[in-house]
Amino acid sequence: MDQIQAIPGSFRDPSGRVYEVDGQIFRTVTGRHAAHFEHVESTGLFQQLAQERFLLPVERASKGVLGSVEEDIRYVLQVPKLPFVAFPYEWPFSALKAAALLHLKIHLAALDKGVTLSDASAYNIQFYGGRPVFIDHLSFRKYQDGEMWAGHRQFSEQFLNPLLLRAFFGVSHNAWYRGTQEGISASEFRQLLKWRHYLSWNVLKHVVMQAMFQRAAFDARVKLEKVELPAAPLPLTSFRHMLNGLHSWVSTLEPAETGKTLWQDYATTHSYAADEERLKRQFIDNFVQETRPKLLWDLGCNTGDYAKVALASGAEYVVGFDSDQGALDSCFERASRENLAFQALFMNMANPSPDQGWMERERSGLRGRAFADSVLALALVHHLRITNNIPFGQVLDWILNLAPRGIIEFVPKSDPMVMRLLNLREDIYSDYTLDFFVSHVAGEAEIIKTAVVSKSGRHLLWFQRR
Amino acid sequence: MKATTFVMILVVVFSSLAFAQSALAYLDPASGSMILQLLLGGIAGVLVVLKLYWRRVKTLFLGLIGHKAKAD
Repeated sequence: MDQIQAIPGSFRDPSGRVYEVDGQIFRTVTGRHAAHFEHVESTGLFQQLAQERFLLPVERASKGVLGSVEEDIRYVLQVPKLPFVAFPYEWPFSALKAAALLHLKIHLAALDKGVTLSDASAYNIQFYGGRPVFIDHLSFRKYQDGEMWAGHRQFSEQFLNPLLLRAFFGVSHNAWYRGTQEGISASEFRQLLKWRHYLSWNVLKHVVMQAMFQRAAFDARVKLEKVELPAAPLPLTSFRHMLNGLHSWVSTLEPAETGKTLWQDYATTHSYAADEERLKRQFIDNFVQETRPKLLWDLGCNTGDYAKVALASGAEYVVGFDSDQGALDSCFERASRENLAFQALFMNMANPSPDQGWMERERSGLRGRAFADSVLALALVHHLRITNNIPFGQVLDWILNLAPRGIIEFVPKSDPMVMRLLNLREDIYSDYTLDFFVSHVAGEAEIIKTAVVSKSGRHLLWFQRR
Repeated sequence: MKATTFVMILVVVFSSLAFAQSALAYLDPASGSMILQLLLGGIAGVLVVLKLYWRRVKTLFLGLIGHKAKAD
C-alpha cells in the first residue's frame, strides 16, 4: 500500500491528523493526546453532542485502514464525509453567526462534563445546509480547575470581530478574512471603532481591553512571565460567565442597516413573467430528474429559488455561490428554516476561492475541493462576459470544466437586463451571440436539450461533456 | 466587583495615551486575552493590570501635581 498522505489542512495539530482513504474520512489520535481523548470519551460528551447533532458522530476504526503512516497513532476514528467543505471566508454573516453560537454552546456543554476546548478555530465548524456542525474531536480535552479559556483570542479573531465588522459598519468579513485566513485581530479591529462603541461593556472587554493589554504586555517593564499567576486564575463560574455573555451578545448581532442589497428582492422584482419562470423550472426539474446529481453547484444562486427546485426534483446536495450578501443571508435563513440540503457561499465567480495558506495547500481553492457532478449557470454568463470583460469562450470553458454536465442560460443582448448592463458602456462584446454560445458549447460537449424560456430570447442549454 | 470596575475605568482613560508602535513578533499573541481573563477572574488579575500600568499611572498623577516624573 502506498503511504497515505494526511489532508493538507490538518498539519497544525500534533494531537492527530485527518486522512481520506477511498472517499472515507479518518482521524488519528496520537500518543500525546490519547489520555485526553480517553477522558473525553469516558464522559459521554461525544455521544451527547452527536445526538444533538452538534458534533459529527465518531466511530473507532482499525489502525490497519491507514497502512503505514509516520505518526505515533493510538486510535483511528472514522467520521462521516461532509457533502462539501467550506471555509469561514466563504460563509455569509448568518452562517458565521450560527457557527459562533454553536461553538459557545458546545464549549458550555463540555464544561458541564469537565471538558474544555483547546482552541476556537472557525475552521472546526462545517455545515449541512443551514445547520452548523463541529468536526474536530481532538479539540476537546480535560478541563483543569480554574484554567483560562485558551481559545478566547482565536474566538475574537475568527468569529467575533468579523461579525462585528458587519454589525457595526455594514462591511462583510469575507474579503478581509480570505486575506488573513485567521480572521480579524483585536488590535486592527479596535482602530475602526468610533467613540459610541466604547459605551458597550462587551466591546470594551473583548475588543478594546484585549488589544490594549496585548500592547501593554509588550511595552511593560514588568514582564508577564515574571508575574506570579494564581493557581486557578479563572474560576469556572467566571469562565462560564464569559461564554454565556458572548453567547447572548453574539445572538443579538445583526447586519447594520445598509439598505436592501441588489439581489435580495430579485426573485420578486426581476424581469421575467410567471409562465417564463415556469418553463425555466420545468427545464431544471427535467435535468435533475434525469441526471440525479449528488453534488450540484449553482453558480450565482441568488436567493436559492432554483436550488430549491433542484432539491425537490431529487438533487442530493446543492452548493450555491453568490456575491450578494443580502441574497446569501436569505439563502441561509431559508436553508435553516426549511431544513434544506442547500448551502450558499460568498464567491465572486470572476474570482473564485484560490488555493492558499501554508505552501498554498492548506485551504483548497474551489476546484480542488470537491467534484460537482452537475452545475447550474443561470443568468450568469452575461455578467462574466460584460461586467467582468472575460472573453465568452473562456467563460464557457470554465463552466464546462467545472462539472461533467449542467445547464447554462444565455441571456441575449436584447434582454432588458443585458440592455441595462450595456447602457453605459461601449458594446465591445462581438462574441456575445447565441450562435457563438451554441457552437462553442457544441465543440466541447454534447448538447442534450435546449429551450427558449423568455420572449426576450433567453436560452437554456443542457450539456453533457464528452 | 467594584475594584475591577474602577480599574476598567482607569484602563480606558490611559488607553488614550499613545503607545509606541513596536514589533509584536516575539510576544505570545494571546497575552492580551490572558490578562483580560486574569482580570475577569478576580483580584489577582487586578494587581497584574495595576502593575502593568503602574508607571503610566504614576507619571500622570505626578504630572497633575506638578512634579516631573523621574525618568526610570
